[in-house]
Amino acid sequence: MTSLYLRDRWFEDLPLGEFHVFGTHTFSELEIVEFAEAFDPRPESTIPEQAASNHRQGLVASPWLITAMWMRKMVDYMEVYAQGVNDGRRNGAGVAINDLQWLEPVRPGHTLTYTYEIIAKPDRVIREKWGLVRSRNEAFNQYRAKVMQFEIDILAERRPENSNNPQQ
Amino acid sequence: MATSTAPSGHLCSNSATLDKRAIVAFAARFDPQPYHLDADAAAQSIFGGLCASGWHIAALATRLIGETLLDNGLPFIEMTSVSHLTWSRPSFVNETISVRIALGGSLADSPITGTHSQTLEVDVCNDDGAVVATMTATAAIATDPADGTVS
Repeated sequence: MTSLYLRDRWFEDLPLGEFHVFGTHTFSELEIVEFAEAFDPRPESTIPEQAASNHRQGLVASPWLITAMWMRKMVDYMEVYAQGVNDGRRNGAGVAINDLQWLEPVRPGHTLTYTYEIIAKPDRVIREKWGLVRSRNEAFNQYRAKVMQFEIDILAERRPENSNNPQQ
Repeated sequence: MATSTAPSGHLCSNSATLDKRAIVAFAARFDPQPYHLDADAAAQSIFGGLCASGWHIAALATRLIGETLLDNGLPFIEMTSVSHLTWSRPSFVNETISVRIALGGSLADSPITGTHSQTLEVDVCNDDGAVVATMTATAAIATDPADGTVS
């Protein structure tokens, strides 16, 4: 049987328990400040001198920057394995997240490692063609402390009734 | 100031417009998938048109939440958790979004020193009043060091 690439699989091909360490990223002071300028433009979140006396005693990554970087690393990882599948037709959009927690501050220079595990395939059919894949996602810093976790439900296209070739 | 308390007791935010430049800039950096980058590809996708990354919506909504809490006397520090978030419909180019917040319970416990936790039920709405996302979240609110009250 032809090997199956990560993004070129039907819902039915995605196994429970599949686990990936899919990306690492070192957060720069510049990207932390640029994200805050767009989404948390307070001086104590964007100016290092003023951040020194904030509740975190310094600049930290906005919570949604940590999570947005999860998305970027996931897209990059999937594209590496997509082998020409670039429209995301089978692994599609996220519909909901649960139990998202930011547990530790991420400061300039911190390096996060992101992991992903398929934990459930809820029995639902959406718009007659999509299934739901639920994954647990975590990020760990360079001290091996968990800094973020969440579960996400992502659409995955079900194999059509008339298809018996997983590569179709 | 446009922030107001609706008759229902909700706090309502100002609005923010998602123009094409902002949608594409965010997606290029954090969510570079065709339906967030290219109008033609997006037209063929599940969304049917160029739309903002869901993470862009979440970050923008959180900016509006923080501003609204600050305007209403709650010294917002940071979002610390989101127990549930649903994206119910895409946000297309030039849609304007705002948030409607119902304050839930308040807890002394918070992961950030000097803060307490405030639970929030949030609807993210577009210009037509349609809900594009809902979120149950917890924010860290600065606790007044003078009296240590949990408001």
